[in-house]
Amino acid sequence: MQIWSPLYRPSIWSFRTSIGNREVGMDMWQVTTLAARIQESLLNQDFVRAGIFLGGGLAATVAAVSLLGLVLVYAERKVAAHFQCRLGPMRVGWHGVLQPIADGIKLFLKEDIIPTEADRLLFVLAPFFCILGMFLAILVLPVSPEIQIIDLDMGVIFLAAVSGFGVFGVLLGGWSSNNKWSMLGAMRAAAQIVSYEVSLTLALLVVVMFSGSLKMSEIIQSQAAGWWIWRAHGVGLVAFLVYVIASVAELNRAPFDLSEGESELTGGFHTEYSGLRFGLFFLAEFINMVLASAFAATFFLGGWMPFHLGDWQAFNAVMDRIPPLLWFVGKTSFMVFLFMWFRWTFPRLRVDQLMALEWKFLLPVSLVNLLVGAAVVLSGFYFFS
Amino acid sequence: MFNRQGIKQQQVKVGGKQLTIIQAPRPQRTSQVATVWGALCSLWNGMRVTWRYFSRPSSIVTQQYPENREHLKIPERFRAQLRLKYDENGEHNCTGCKICDVQCPNASIEVIDMRGESGKKEIDRFVWRMDICTFCNICVMVCPFDALEMSNEFESSVYDKRLLTYQLNRYAGPTKKAFEKIESSADRERLKVGRQPFEAPTPLGIAAGVASGPGVSVAPPSTMKKDDI
Repeated sequence: MQIWSPLYRPSIWSFRTSIGNREVGMDMWQVTTLAARIQESLLNQDFVRAGIFLGGGLAATVAAVSLLGLVLVYAERKVAAHFQCRLGPMRVGWHGVLQPIADGIKLFLKEDIIPTEADRLLFVLAPFFCILGMFLAILVLPVSPEIQIIDLDMGVIFLAAVSGFGVFGVLLGGWSSNNKWSMLGAMRAAAQIVSYEVSLTLALLVVVMFSGSLKMSEIIQSQAAGWWIWRAHGVGLVAFLVYVIASVAELNRAPFDLSEGESELTGGFHTEYSGLRFGLFFLAEFINMVLASAFAATFFLGGWMPFHLGDWQAFNAVMDRIPPLLWFVGKTSFMVFLFMWFRWTFPRLRVDQLMALEWKFLLPVSLVNLLVGAAVVLSGFYFFS
Repeated sequence: MFNRQGIKQQQVKVGGKQLTIIQAPRPQRTSQVATVWGALCSLWNGMRVTWRYFSRPSSIVTQQYPENREHLKIPERFRAQLRLKYDENGEHNCTGCKICDVQCPNASIEVIDMRGESGKKEIDRFVWRMDICTFCNICVMVCPFDALEMSNEFESSVYDKRLLTYQLNRYAGPTKKAFEKIESSADRERLKVGRQPFEAPTPLGIAAGVASGPGVSVAPPSTMKKDDI
């Protein structure tokens, strides 16, 4: 059936195949990744096309990351301002929209200082480790059925592996600065990220159990009948809450920003950094926030999958009109806003409170949740199963 | 929700006074579940409060200064420039008693008095150095004649710091109260010796032995010696 509307062009927005099992409301979406396109071109001996895809993908990723950085700096400042009864940047451009560009120019032109007593090599390398971890996580990010770099069979394991990469950068930066505040901040960050990684992964495991796959595209397709956050009688909701808390902690954002804690450690691990290197740390932090939001959306809110309700055909058809990319962007922005909301509402925890929250509360809760989730999966006791 | 349960109120008579004693209960050891639920509720409460600020543009207090100069909202008690209070006849209450001068923690006030025509002490120059003032309001509070006030005039940036030394009195002479006894307005005007805001003798000007202020040649007050300030 061909429906024409400016928003709905089936050939572009959705690839529907006949595999879909209409009885249980499972709509299959064909996923095309950049890796698959390159592979196809190489198989056809079309090296130019493969090169264009590779170069274009690389350029688009870098451009998207830089653009997102700018947008997020602006959004964070504006949102923070309005939470605090202020206006935020208003001078550069209309309502201060050019402020992040001015900030960027300032960072570029600043003197790049390396302390004399610092370990030069590690000091220079540390920001790039942070950036590297970020880019590795982007690899498996499913933005829409057509926009994904590679759809690994073990995407979730890959994600869990590389999400700890950022802590390398933080730890190296803190260690190599040869400064007690940096060192303390780095140690705190390491302890925090290692601890919260556990419950983060356990929360993801619940979704893996529900969807029966480690592949990002299959996890999203398994939510065609409904998102995992509400379909499993509270298990998904608890997993979502645990994921949100743990990912805020892993992002080193308030209320878990102990590793930079301005009032305690001057600047934490990036005390000694200035200019562009500081900017890289900053960029990695912001993009990691988007990534955490995007993966929260992917695992719990259905990723690019439109909001479907079981086999309500008419409702689902209306929802399908909205392109998947828009769904993804909307869900991710909501999560980003939630993270900012947390940051400007909650006070910072103490170190011992932080550890108590993880080991005495989140870990038992997520373990019990995992068990209950297993029972739910075995009995098939969820909506639209 | 803030838990108000268990708060006891009782009226007690202590020394002829009726006092209300509010007794809060001792914090009880609660179950883990109650703690977690309470924590979640209080987090949600906090988020509701910040959401209220976020969603209401009317809660914004920022003023975009140069643009809204015409309709600037300054709180009444905002403390900017110090000034003497003048009535409709342009007369003030300052007697030159020097209490503000003595009480000023930064010594930014210098009151110079003189013998008036009636033989009483009168104000000659009220010199206020804004550059070393912290706007602590003590001078206003200690003034027994209610002659001083902190105005909302905050636009006082200048290129020469000597211009931050003001002479607050517009005339040297008796107070409002003393003027009330004088009938003829000609006599009143004769008793007022004009003073300009920027005529004040500044330390820099005196040290250099030259005129101070914006091109105004300043004669030292008749009662002032060179080492007075």
